[in-house]
Amino acid sequence: MIRVAARWIVSSVALLFAVTALTFVLASVAPGSAVRAVVGADTSVTPQQYAQVKRQLGLDQPLPVQYWHWLYHLLHGSLGNDLFSGQPITQALGTRIAASLSIIIATVVLSGIAGVAFGTVSAIRGGVIGRVLDALAVFGFALPSFWLALVVIEVLAVQVRLFPATGYVAFSSDPWQWLRSIVLPVLTLSAGTTAAIARQTRDSMLQVFARDFVAALRSRGLPLWVIIWKHALRNAAIPVVTTLGVVFIGLLGGTVFVEQVFAIPGLGEAAVTATSNHDLPLIEGIAFYFAILVVIINLLVDISYAALNPKVRATT
Amino acid sequence: MTMRNTRHVVRIGATTVGLAVMLVVAAACGSGSSSSSTGTQPAASAAVGGTLTVAQSIGATTLNPETTNQADCYFEELAYEPLIVRLENGGFAPGLATSWHYSGEGNTTFVLDLRHGVKFSDGTTMTAQDVVNDFEYLLKANGQMAPEFAGDTFAVTGPMQVTITAKTPNPEFPFLLTQDYNAGDIISAAGLKDPAALGTKTFGAGPYELDAAETVSGSTYTYTPNPYYYDKPAVHWKKVVIKVIATAQATLDAMKTGEVNLTQGDPSTLKAAEQAGLTVTQAPLLWDGVVLADRNGKTVKALASLQVRQALNYDTDRTTIVNALYAGFGHPTEQVTVPGGYGYLASLNSTYPYDPAKAKQLLAAAGYPHGFTMSMVTANYGDENLLAQALSQEWASIGVKVNIIDDANTAAYEAAFASGKVPSFIAIYGQQPISIEGPGLFLPPALFNPYHSTSAALQSLYDQDIRASGTAQTALNQKVETYLVDNAWFVPVVATGLPYYATTNITGTKVTPNAPLVELYQVEPAKS
Repeated sequence: MIRVAARWIVSSVALLFAVTALTFVLASVAPGSAVRAVVGADTSVTPQQYAQVKRQLGLDQPLPVQYWHWLYHLLHGSLGNDLFSGQPITQALGTRIAASLSIIIATVVLSGIAGVAFGTVSAIRGGVIGRVLDALAVFGFALPSFWLALVVIEVLAVQVRLFPATGYVAFSSDPWQWLRSIVLPVLTLSAGTTAAIARQTRDSMLQVFARDFVAALRSRGLPLWVIIWKHALRNAAIPVVTTLGVVFIGLLGGTVFVEQVFAIPGLGEAAVTATSNHDLPLIEGIAFYFAILVVIINLLVDISYAALNPKVRATT
Repeated sequence: MTMRNTRHVVRIGATTVGLAVMLVVAAACGSGSSSSSTGTQPAASAAVGGTLTVAQSIGATTLNPETTNQADCYFEELAYEPLIVRLENGGFAPGLATSWHYSGEGNTTFVLDLRHGVKFSDGTTMTAQDVVNDFEYLLKANGQMAPEFAGDTFAVTGPMQVTITAKTPNPEFPFLLTQDYNAGDIISAAGLKDPAALGTKTFGAGPYELDAAETVSGSTYTYTPNPYYYDKPAVHWKKVVIKVIATAQATLDAMKTGEVNLTQGDPSTLKAAEQAGLTVTQAPLLWDGVVLADRNGKTVKALASLQVRQALNYDTDRTTIVNALYAGFGHPTEQVTVPGGYGYLASLNSTYPYDPAKAKQLLAAAGYPHGFTMSMVTANYGDENLLAQALSQEWASIGVKVNIIDDANTAAYEAAFASGKVPSFIAIYGQQPISIEGPGLFLPPALFNPYHSTSAALQSLYDQDIRASGTAQTALNQKVETYLVDNAWFVPVVATGLPYYATTNITGTKVTPNAPLVELYQVEPAKS
């Protein structure tokens, strides 16, 4: 167990290091510069003034040195300050992570429940219902998110006025308004993820249903729902959990789009602004938060494997 | 005598990656370049609404009024009262200064008499020394407005009096000290003591103050009334929220549902906004076109030829482009001002009628019968990149090949056109007084003159203009614009306004040619 934990810690640290280092390099080589963004394009700024701003921002240092400084501050609990507003990155992102996680977790929960339900029904029933569910899964998978976003906004916000078209309300401010504010982004993101989970569930369930122990359970006269709920789903769950983990991680990228469209103050929206401004500390902070989430999700997926399959527990 | 006056450099933007474009817009009308020593207070109103929600396409990079981009003025103007208020009708009214005047001849000494008893939102009382300290910080912070005051000195010359001594004549101090330019937004001593905090907090004497607890930087900015504001009847809302919505369509949807009350529109949503029953207003303000920057032929030799630059103007079918890209939004133009603006002459719009044959002749006469190749940088904002493509196709017919650099990244766009390495670029610019337009657009140090082109004749006209007043100055304004058109420093294509969309439950959003920009603190709840 200790060996497993040690292995997990080492791989997680390596991942965090790789993600932040790569982000640092990519952000640094992107066209434009934070210095230019800070001083503006004003040609009255002398080269000396430009150099002074560059020095103040620490951008006159070689790239490895800049990264080392960032790592040093990270190890001392600081992600640095926003180059423009001067706000500490932890403070700037602290208010945003709740918005992103609200949408991501709600999408995973909704698409997990719906996907498993659709996949299971499709596997059991086959026939017309199965084919319709299969077709819906393909349809959901193929729907462009930007188009779906426009449709749900037009229908459910503009026409019916059930939900707000834009914005986010914190759970602590008003739980009901919080729920209303995340419904449309979650619906937009759920179409594809539900389809992915439904397909995986269907395939896994079909494989489980073809195994001998299911035939044996049937021959003992157990009700179908007991076979599904107590035996088949448990055996089919590992690939589905894997898919859920992948979906969760994929949604981190999905927030960039959906937060823009629905004007939600989350990490994805901040990533766009930070990138356009070449705000390296903010970009690094967001990459770090995303990487932490990936590490946590991988841990949860591993724990789920162990919980679902005794063989996994035995090997760890 | 009437004279139009203007202002401000504005960054607007919003692309898929949330970028911004540098552009310059103009506004305001006054009664002369000399000061008004008396003004009227902003109209008092008893109507106080709940929440005014305004959408902006991009968040403020900073809330510091002395370093911010003027496109972000909405984020500052609610919290920082300017020294002089530019009214909706274009006139001036007292703000933190109750009166002002030039002393002596030559527009170099400007005296401000300050309002007594003004308190900042932190409860401290404004002094004349606070104003001087603010001006000195403006220079030190080296923000967008610092060049306008470079070399100037500031002194307390009375208990509540401040005198600006300008290094060079500056007839536009009243304009520069209005809300339009941020330079007159005075910061409290506490704010100046902690410049780092100016980025995320407000330290002004304006009608509102930032509610930091309800603000997510870059996304949602919430303002609540400043309990110490000196003119309480001018506070029209219990709360003002500026919401950042990156896409025009999402903004329009939010307005349809009533989540947003006011926003700046764009050509892509203009008709839809009208169809949705929103109040749409706009007034002439901007010209869009090409800056032929390399007039010395440093990068592209051909551009040093007047005939070549004129050929590009002759081979521009402005009417067709405007009908295709700016229908209902703009009018063809050949000058770097707008109807009614500084130096505007209707006759200048007949200088370069669309004539490809003449363009070819001019190119041949200049020694380029088969054309030449040049690059052109454009921002990926609005229809600017489409304008670049349209011009590229038209100019190809006379052999001029344009390599378009289409920058989705606005910082990269700004850096590219300011680098002095790209011979031409697409720009959106607002009409301005010549004294402001010169240092911004056509004088050697100007941002929009990255190759530092110079002309003794133009410099002479400019020098006369900033010292003149009244009809003499109006005539000089026209001479400057005529020089720029005749010498084809630019290829202006379209004159447009800046459209605003408003829901019907608010007022104060009307714009006029004299005052084409909506000011947030003039927006009030509609009386039912």
